[in-house]
Amino acid sequence: MTELISSGLVRGMGIGSTYALLAVGFVIIYRATGVINFAQPALMILGAYATSVFATGVGMPFPVAVLAAMAVLAAVGMATERVALRPMVGRQPFAAAMVTVGVLTVLFVVAHRLIGTQVRTVGDPWGLERASLFGVSVAQVDLAKIVVSLVAIGAVGLFLARSRLGLAMRATSMDQEVALAQGVNVGRMFSLAWGISAALAALAGMLVGTSAGGFEAITALVALKALPVIIVGGLDSIKGAVYAGLLIGIAEALTRTYQPRYAEWLGANVDVVVPYVIMIVVLAFRPYGLFGTREVERV
Amino acid sequence: MLRRGVAVAGVAALLAGACAVDDDDEPDDGATDVAEGGEDGEGDDEDEEDGDSEATGETDGVTFDTGVTEDPCPDAVNPDNGCIYLGVLSDLSEGPFAALGIPLTAGQEAFWQRVNDEGGIGGFDVDISTYTRDTLYDPQEHSARYREIEPNVVALAQTLGTEPTEAILSDMDADDMIGAPATWWSGWAFDENDQGLILESGYSYCIEAQIGLDWFGENVAPPSTVMAVGYPGDYGGDSSAGAEAWAEANDAEFAGWVETAPDAVVGSQDAAIGQVVGSGADVVVLAVGPAEAAAIVGGALAEGFEGQFLGSVPTWDPALLDSPAGEAMTAVYRHIAPWEGIDAETPGHEAIRESLGGELPANEGYIFGWVWSYPIKAALESAIESGDLTRAGVRAAVDGLQVDYEEILPPATFGGDPNDEAVRTAVINQPDPEASLGVSPLDVGVTGATADAYEYTAACA
Repeated sequence: MTELISSGLVRGMGIGSTYALLAVGFVIIYRATGVINFAQPALMILGAYATSVFATGVGMPFPVAVLAAMAVLAAVGMATERVALRPMVGRQPFAAAMVTVGVLTVLFVVAHRLIGTQVRTVGDPWGLERASLFGVSVAQVDLAKIVVSLVAIGAVGLFLARSRLGLAMRATSMDQEVALAQGVNVGRMFSLAWGISAALAALAGMLVGTSAGGFEAITALVALKALPVIIVGGLDSIKGAVYAGLLIGIAEALTRTYQPRYAEWLGANVDVVVPYVIMIVVLAFRPYGLFGTREVERV
Repeated sequence: MLRRGVAVAGVAALLAGACAVDDDDEPDDGATDVAEGGEDGEGDDEDEEDGDSEATGETDGVTFDTGVTEDPCPDAVNPDNGCIYLGVLSDLSEGPFAALGIPLTAGQEAFWQRVNDEGGIGGFDVDISTYTRDTLYDPQEHSARYREIEPNVVALAQTLGTEPTEAILSDMDADDMIGAPATWWSGWAFDENDQGLILESGYSYCIEAQIGLDWFGENVAPPSTVMAVGYPGDYGGDSSAGAEAWAEANDAEFAGWVETAPDAVVGSQDAAIGQVVGSGADVVVLAVGPAEAAAIVGGALAEGFEGQFLGSVPTWDPALLDSPAGEAMTAVYRHIAPWEGIDAETPGHEAIRESLGGELPANEGYIFGWVWSYPIKAALESAIESGDLTRAGVRAAVDGLQVDYEEILPPATFGGDPNDEAVRTAVINQPDPEASLGVSPLDVGVTGATADAYEYTAACA
């Protein structure tokens, strides 16, 4: 039972909440612009780098360093939208998505230049420390991932639900022309969506960078795990991103813990394919994901 | 439809990420025009186009063709000398071993710079910069870049990675191209694997694991259960085979080989950590990357693992001392190396330090690159001595080749019985924040009863 809680549920929720954080970033941009942002992995690793620079290089207190990194990445995200994506307004979403692939390539090269080939650390306060949760020893960093992610996602949810800007963003996501007619600055909403998404990616980067071995530029590819999460949860559902992230994180952790013991014949690293197996199963029964909006097409 | 688009774009994103190459890390192709033999360089363009040089030249009684010119090297140290072009196929930007590949290549450049500063070899300077290529630790890229530089080089100063090198071996054989590996696979000791083309230095991963476990048994406590964690393929596989052979020879239990992969592929090392913790092993032999090694050591200790770790050469990076696992690494991780670190007192180490001008390299890769260059230098010298600096002549020089490592390693002879010639000594290091590159030697010139007795008759894996 101890192992189930520590290595399965808590570890899985820790990983899953990081996936959720990344997935919410995808969803926010998708809802606002109809575009899947494939540059999210590069934004994530640049966020980890910025946190590392502020915390271990500049010497800022860790929470301040994290907030500063989020602010920097939000600015990067907004600038990216203005320069690379705004000209694509009105074009096919697929074409805009391919532009984000180009943005990924550019930012990835930048990340490699900045990070270099050495291992870096984010200077987090959790390290390898353990904490007791209902009498079970769990890693502090797992608890931190859960709390930080869910607080951040909750804050974004509140912002979207309660603030005027959030209302304008939701209106934009429902119908851009109607929102425009109501006086909403749609371009500004696009920019805001990219800013929030990039800030969340930076936060996720910090959490990924808490690994005991630190992070490298290539660690960016971890963010691609958020793709099955958004498909499973539904492309336009923040709630779906959270549930799917946790589901996939826990499924991965349980597979890592028990598969080598009880199904060794499956081979090594089976957990890597688990998100995709879940995605295929969910799509077979719910083509729009667990919480996605069914698309209605006139025929 | 949209979801299908997402899937297609996802694959495209993966490819784009994998292919994002930092072109600035490569040498200027503009400097790569002339690299063929011939007294006046005529015929070079044609040779580059068909990739099959037959142009020959002769100077001071030395015959040469592909990859050697009578013209000086670009930015030659000795303008009156001809030029020997060597190729470098390394991991210089985004591959998993770029952290080693970059200083490793810098170490080789420094080695050949020193050779040139001392007058060159037999009337030739040596150039390794013009045909340095980043192959990303990708066998396909390695093969493509090999084909690109092959018409212009006489040998490979470096071919990094076992699998990438295996991908070009048949071409190297057809081209009579020898090379220095940046890898310690046991198969390089056997002609059936490398056709005598690969001039390895130091032990193999397989022998390394055995020496490490021998040392552990004699200096810490005889392990009753050992385990191996490594990447699939000839790095982790070779190391694991060594650990298994050691367990068999010492009546210890081999708790298995845990196959893992870089974090970028598997997300985290949690699966490996779980198996290490559940194994109850006394010693775990690691053959992974530095970040992954730290994650496994730190994660396992945090979850109550009480055993210790022996890390293969590529598992260490000085930056790990500042990682969350730094303390755990210092406590229970020992690093196995084929030769001493930068502070050692040998003529070779002294030359390395001199080449650095008081600076420190990023990691031990610089020393690896330097050491791996000695056999190629010896082969070129031998070929020149015999008057045949063609690729066939250089290849012929390998059999019986004597290599002096300036005391960094004992002198080596190529072409003999691998069981007799295999290097079976190592250095055991410990993490040390005070040391120049984060590790200091616990024991040097380490040999072990199991490693010494191991019948080295074929590649371990």
